[in-house]
Amino acid sequence: MAALRTTSRLFKASRPLFRPMQMRSLATVTDGYSSTSTAPPSQTSTTKEPAADPDAKIKTFHIYRWNPDEPATKPRMQSYALDLNKTGPMMLDALIRIKNEVDPTLTFRRSCREGICGSCAMNIDGVNTLACLCRIPVDTKAETKIYPLPHTYVVKDIVPDLTQFYKQYKSIKPYLQRTTPAPGGKEYLQSKEDRKKLDGMYECILCACCSTSCPSYWWNSEEYLGPAVLMQSYRWIADSRDEKKEERKAALDNSMSLYRCHTILNCSRTCPKGLNPGMAIAEIKKEMAF
Amino acid sequence: MASIIRPAVFRQSCLNIASKRAFSTKPSPTFPAINKQAASILSKNALGNSFVKEVVPKSIQVAAFHASGRRPILPPLPQVIDGTANDAAKVPSPSPSHGSYHWTFERLISVGLIPLTVAPFAAGSLNPLTDALLCGTILIHSHIGFEALIIDYIPRGRLPGTRKAFDWLLKLATVVVGVGLYEFETNDVGLTEGIKRIWTA
Amino acid sequence: MLAQRILQQSLRRFATGKQLTTSKFAIAPTAMLGSPIQTRQVATQNLTPTDSYSILVAQRKNRPTAPHLTIYQPQIPWILSGLNRITGSVLSGGFYVFGSAYLVAPLLGWNLSSVSMAAAFGSWPLILKVLTKFTIALPFTFHSFNGFRHLTWDMGKAFKNQTVVKTGWTVVGVSVVTALGLATLV
Repeated sequence: MAALRTTSRLFKASRPLFRPMQMRSLATVTDGYSSTSTAPPSQTSTTKEPAADPDAKIKTFHIYRWNPDEPATKPRMQSYALDLNKTGPMMLDALIRIKNEVDPTLTFRRSCREGICGSCAMNIDGVNTLACLCRIPVDTKAETKIYPLPHTYVVKDIVPDLTQFYKQYKSIKPYLQRTTPAPGGKEYLQSKEDRKKLDGMYECILCACCSTSCPSYWWNSEEYLGPAVLMQSYRWIADSRDEKKEERKAALDNSMSLYRCHTILNCSRTCPKGLNPGMAIAEIKKEMAF
Repeated sequence: MASIIRPAVFRQSCLNIASKRAFSTKPSPTFPAINKQAASILSKNALGNSFVKEVVPKSIQVAAFHASGRRPILPPLPQVIDGTANDAAKVPSPSPSHGSYHWTFERLISVGLIPLTVAPFAAGSLNPLTDALLCGTILIHSHIGFEALIIDYIPRGRLPGTRKAFDWLLKLATVVVGVGLYEFETNDVGLTEGIKRIWTA
Repeated sequence: MLAQRILQQSLRRFATGKQLTTSKFAIAPTAMLGSPIQTRQVATQNLTPTDSYSILVAQRKNRPTAPHLTIYQPQIPWILSGLNRITGSVLSGGFYVFGSAYLVAPLLGWNLSSVSMAAAFGSWPLILKVLTKFTIALPFTFHSFNGFRHLTWDMGKAFKNQTVVKTGWTVVGVSVVTALGLATLV
């Protein structure tokens, strides 16, 4: 009996050799593979699924590709077809499935898969959003296009460089600034009404969807701060505990930092968290006007 | 937003045609369909795509003759970051006359335009003083609008000379137009009456 | 049992190894023999922070810019904002052209008095007159009504996404209707 079980297990164990996918674990550690240059994406497909099944819902994804190792090559769109029946409901599921099963060279950022880290911000079907919060449209005729956040410098594929964005965030001093100690000596108290003023602003996860949807920010990201950073600036201006409001406003009082906002409102429209940076900027302008 | 003025747009819209073709690649029936690499959307040469390869003999393909160069206006510069990633971006020194005062003034002018625009429709025409006021307000409103165009689309850091030239050109144009309108207001019937005359002609 | 397991493992490894040698990935003989030591042929190299920073700076210069205006979905907020700017520029441009032309008209011998212009325009065929009036009236009405929208926003009101879309379409409708009215009725 034991022998029989072993043979059956042996038979089962030998099955993976018909699936080339299993080779990768061994093949990657050998020198033959690591010394050659990276296989072109068209040769990296490793999974072969059985013949197309009749109720397969095949949807095509066109994804922006650019590889920093080949800087002379221009960015291009690459197409992937996935069966939606075997894919999770969200865009991020599709991307992860492509990376796992079709093309491991596809590069994107992701972390929490629940819309709280802001890593997977990208332009999906022309709208900036978080891939983890964006459902895949079930209509298989419509082909999905995925780009990096618009007018950002691309590190690789759909990974944008947000250095300037973070530097600008740092420039607004996003922390509580006080000169006087707490009245009770312990903590800085705030009324319920004052706390309420921060709702809709403190939830921002700095995914940069809004800033990179703003045409003003596209043209002048060197000097204009952009909706996300301005809303965070207002988050501290509106905070009843902060005592450097005038300094904060003075830092915005020039033609570029704040006033390149022309109330286009792409920011509020695109925010994946449902916040309203456009309104926060209007409040800053109002407070600074009179 | 400057579809008309801003650069890259031209180049990209020209190439849209090429990318459309690239997008139309259909998934092959076998599952993991990495389709053939789509023609690069930003490739500088449309001759690269398959149609041309099939039709045009190889010898001609290489030498693409640029009858009209696809030269974008102000293409994005290579990325340069000022300081390290941990340094905060530079905060400009405050100048309310270009910031908050400017914004408030702009709004006041815009609000002032409302009654001045409605009045001629309601009253039929305007007396010379109000008409002159309307002309002046429109002139300032236009000046501020053009100024915003210049600030938005001619970056000072990148094109300091062009920026300065356009700033002065705008100032000159505003003065010239102001004098011209003064002439029109004093020698002719005035703006609202003039428009009415032509409109009903 | 243990012996069976070992046999089974080596058999499996042998089978996989054979498969691999026929593929394009060459397999090291050590891996085939099942030696537990696998050498990774990757060389590392020490870099000073300055060196790695200069590599980063060089790398940044190669980066392309992601596509923007051409791929962004056409939506009411930015399309109407763009139209607001375009119509404003057209109107102000016309205003500037007329103002400066009126100033230099005597020097160039043009007659830009309202009487002569009205006479010239009045001699046009009706359909052309209405079309011209409409193309001038539409930017004017759109920019004016959209101006109200902007002033409301500057007061911090009407920022909800649905409200923005609704007011946007309202402005489009109202400006087309009033422009038609101005072109035909007045």
